[in-house]
Amino acid sequence: MTVLTEPSSFDVQAVVDEVWTTFLGGEPLVPVAPDFDPAGTFPGSRWDAAVTVSGAWHGLIVVSVNDAVAHAVTQAMLGLDDGDTAAHEDVVDALGELVNVIGGNIKSLMDGPSKLSLPLVAQAPIQAGGIVETCRLDLAWGSHRVWVTVGTRDEGGTS
Amino acid sequence: MHALIIDDSRTMRSILRRIVVDLGFDVTEAGNGQEALTALEDGLEPDLCLIDWNMPLMDGYTFVTRVRADPRWRNITLMMVTTESEHGQIVRALAAGAHEYVIKPFTADAIVEKLELLGLAAQEVPA
Ligand SMILES: [Mg+2]
Repeated sequence: MTVLTEPSSFDVQAVVDEVWTTFLGGEPLVPVAPDFDPAGTFPGSRWDAAVTVSGAWHGLIVVSVNDAVAHAVTQAMLGLDDGDTAAHEDVVDALGELVNVIGGNIKSLMDGPSKLSLPLVAQAPIQAGGIVETCRLDLAWGSHRVWVTVGTRDEGGTS
Repeated sequence: MHALIIDDSRTMRSILRRIVVDLGFDVTEAGNGQEALTALEDGLEPDLCLIDWNMPLMDGYTFVTRVRADPRWRNITLMMVTTESEHGQIVRALAAGAHEYVIKPFTADAIVEKLELLGLAAQEVPA
């Protein structure tokens, strides 16, 4: 039997909402029906930002957005004016900090002690071996989509 | 007044910078504990350090222990600003000599309130 102990979708949603509204203000995230197949083509050019948690709980937290959202998030976090375009390294840094804070707060939902990794940001899907997706949030931010997935290490025996 | 903001994220340093500049602080930034320690060794005299926990090279907890071990820096107020919210870590940081502990995400008001309690920002007088 495979036993997974993972944070609930409800708790993950609460963490993401709090972090998002605190840092980005304005438009809240609204849950929507899943409308893309992660195995299929990502709608728009993709940015993934991820942290891992290791210790009493082993997990992977990934925030996925398209290029427009990545830049909008960066602009908001850095307080840039509308006309200013965020540089590539600013986007990497802002998305990294966003997932760092979301991941740290998800870590605190689980029994510790455990350690949070430094963030990893890529313009490609981020996955980790031995981690199975245990929670996926499909969210709308205005006309854009934001995805948050939480994976938990498969402590599996025989899955 | 001078604040040293220590965080590996430039985005986070920029968010914190805007908050403390509004309170009248001059600001120096460092990307990790080692860089911050070097700045102190080089003679920087901040009144306040805002310190992230998870950073490359030297984490914020180690930075706090190093600062508290050196009498030259005993007057610096140390405030952790971190996503680490496990109870054990908060206790460890405060025991090591951090004066305050703020968990990310935070509002500007939360930081200002802590600084008021520490006597580093003017308390607003109720109308
Ligand atoms: Mg950090």
